[in-house]
Amino acid sequence: MPGYAVRTIPRTSDKRAARDRRTIAVVQTRRLLLRRSAVTTFLAVVCLLVAAAAAVSCQAPAPRRSAGQPVAHQHHEEAAPPPSAADAALQLQVLLGHHSILAAELMRGRLRGDDAYTKAAAAAAEKNTQAMASLVDSLFGPAAAAQFTELWSGHITALADYAGGLAKHDAAARDGATARLETFERTLAAFFAGASKGRLSQQAAQAAVLMHVQHLLQQADAYAAHDYPAADRIDRQGYTHSYAMGKTLVAALVTPAQAAALDSPVWVLRSELSRLLGEHVVLVVSAMRAGLTNGPDFAAAAQSVNDNTRELTAAVGSMFGAPAAARFQSLWADHIDQIFAYTTGLVTHNAQRREAAVTRLGTFEAQFAAFLDQATADRLPSTTLAKALLMHDQMLLAQADALSAKQYQQANDGTYATYRHMTDLAGQLAQAFGATVASRLPVGGPHTGYGGAAASVEHG
Amino acid sequence: MMPGAARVGVVAVLAAALAGALTGSAPGAAARSTSGSITAPPEVASFRSTRDYPDIPVPVRLRVPAVRVDTALQPLGRNADGTIAVPADPDVAGWYTEGPRPGQPGPAVILGHVDSTTGPAVFFHLARLSPGDAITVDGADGSTRTFRVTRVTRVPKDRFPTDLVYLPTLQPALRLVTCGGSFDRAAHSYRDNIIVFADLA
Repeated sequence: MPGYAVRTIPRTSDKRAARDRRTIAVVQTRRLLLRRSAVTTFLAVVCLLVAAAAAVSCQAPAPRRSAGQPVAHQHHEEAAPPPSAADAALQLQVLLGHHSILAAELMRGRLRGDDAYTKAAAAAAEKNTQAMASLVDSLFGPAAAAQFTELWSGHITALADYAGGLAKHDAAARDGATARLETFERTLAAFFAGASKGRLSQQAAQAAVLMHVQHLLQQADAYAAHDYPAADRIDRQGYTHSYAMGKTLVAALVTPAQAAALDSPVWVLRSELSRLLGEHVVLVVSAMRAGLTNGPDFAAAAQSVNDNTRELTAAVGSMFGAPAAARFQSLWADHIDQIFAYTTGLVTHNAQRREAAVTRLGTFEAQFAAFLDQATADRLPSTTLAKALLMHDQMLLAQADALSAKQYQQANDGTYATYRHMTDLAGQLAQAFGATVASRLPVGGPHTGYGGAAASVEHG
Repeated sequence: MMPGAARVGVVAVLAAALAGALTGSAPGAAARSTSGSITAPPEVASFRSTRDYPDIPVPVRLRVPAVRVDTALQPLGRNADGTIAVPADPDVAGWYTEGPRPGQPGPAVILGHVDSTTGPAVFFHLARLSPGDAITVDGADGSTRTFRVTRVTRVPKDRFPTDLVYLPTLQPALRLVTCGGSFDRAAHSYRDNIIVFADLA
């Protein structure tokens, strides 16, 4: 099937033994890690993540260009070429999705009166803005990036001010923030409409930005009213919308020929898997934060984690059938249960509970990797997958440690790295899943006519 | 007179309550001892991951009011040569069972004949559909899902876009497929296919 790089890993006779050895190694590694202090563990993982993220992150400084050069010729000979439409759209989706989560967390931290958490969320949102600006720079140059940064940072400040007004029951502060957000919606819409060279109307751009802002304001309203299920439901809608907005914007900002790549099934599959797997990370971390403080918003956060699990399972079911979905969900649920068992161990200062959770996670990683290997007919090498899943779990546990220690900046950096790790993994999964399904699709167009009304059909 | 242990417990609870009041603990916060450790089981301890997911029913009926289609659906698989099986009855459409069910993530595929050997069949007017037209699918459990047409295309059979029709996207969608274009009497087959793309409303 065009578009898929089908990779087949030969089975070996000692594969099961190798898996067993890997399982043992994983568990031993985990036990060693657990023996270290939480901070040491976290720092070790973060060092690894920062190195890994630097290789793939769009936060890497974009090559600077002379502002005086024409846009079409601004890229220096040695500079990296701008990302393809497919890559740019994925990058923007991932960053916008993370932005929506960070903005909501910032607002919620302010509503809880948790200054340290709010400050860390604001710093993370600023890093996210810089990453988006780098992407804008790579596509449209530094002048556009500077304009975008000013607008985008302004709307984050206005969102924070709105939450502050909510927390203090200050209607004037809320109204002032809302008025600034309305100006932002119009200005940013004009920015995108202008950059699209007429492919995106001001009206359509403003509708997209308006919905983004409305989701954030409404989730804050619900959170302030202690309606946590509604707050989380709207927050998830906002996150999903941010992915749709990323595709809409990039589709309009590039040429129609480039935008066609965004309709290819493998791109859509990768985008959807990125959304779901990235959301898994941010929802788990949000629920860990609520669980560690035994906050009143934990139940709703846990429900959101489960809703995401149901969506992921339904996705697996539609591609691989009900038995595979059931197996997937069993393994995935085990994985999440142990993450929260570890979190419980932190809350209750129970080292044994934490160690037991880590040991069980080691079993999950190997089993889950083997499941995916089998489901995709060896298109996903289980060794690589087990390592990726091990890293995923270590990252989540490190964030639990950091949140427990109220090291919020480290937790936010770790969340972003974990989120990126999963959205990158989604690319590999999309390739393998798509190729597996493609290998069993019907051949050719169906023969659904016998010619008895051919004269009418031909002229119909 | 309270036993010593009980008095200690009461004092600890009162101290925890007072500490909560002074620090403005959010409702639902666990009681804490004077040492700061949580004494009641935290809510996170009761977390259990879900072990179920939405069961989308098998489709049993298709309605497309704009082209007066109202048909039962028969299950379709693949033939030995790898081609998709087609409905046995020209007046009945069929759902491809090896793909998603309508409403599941990904594109569900429904086929119908454009004509029989003697006259028009169930999908005779399918090419007349336009973006925005409604398509409803009834499930075996009595539920109904509505889709909206996004586009209608005609493609040569030998360039059938298998990936666009069948490949998973995780977005609930529907594809209606029939024949169109000119009829090749030598091959007893139409040269083209009509494909209707629709998204869940």
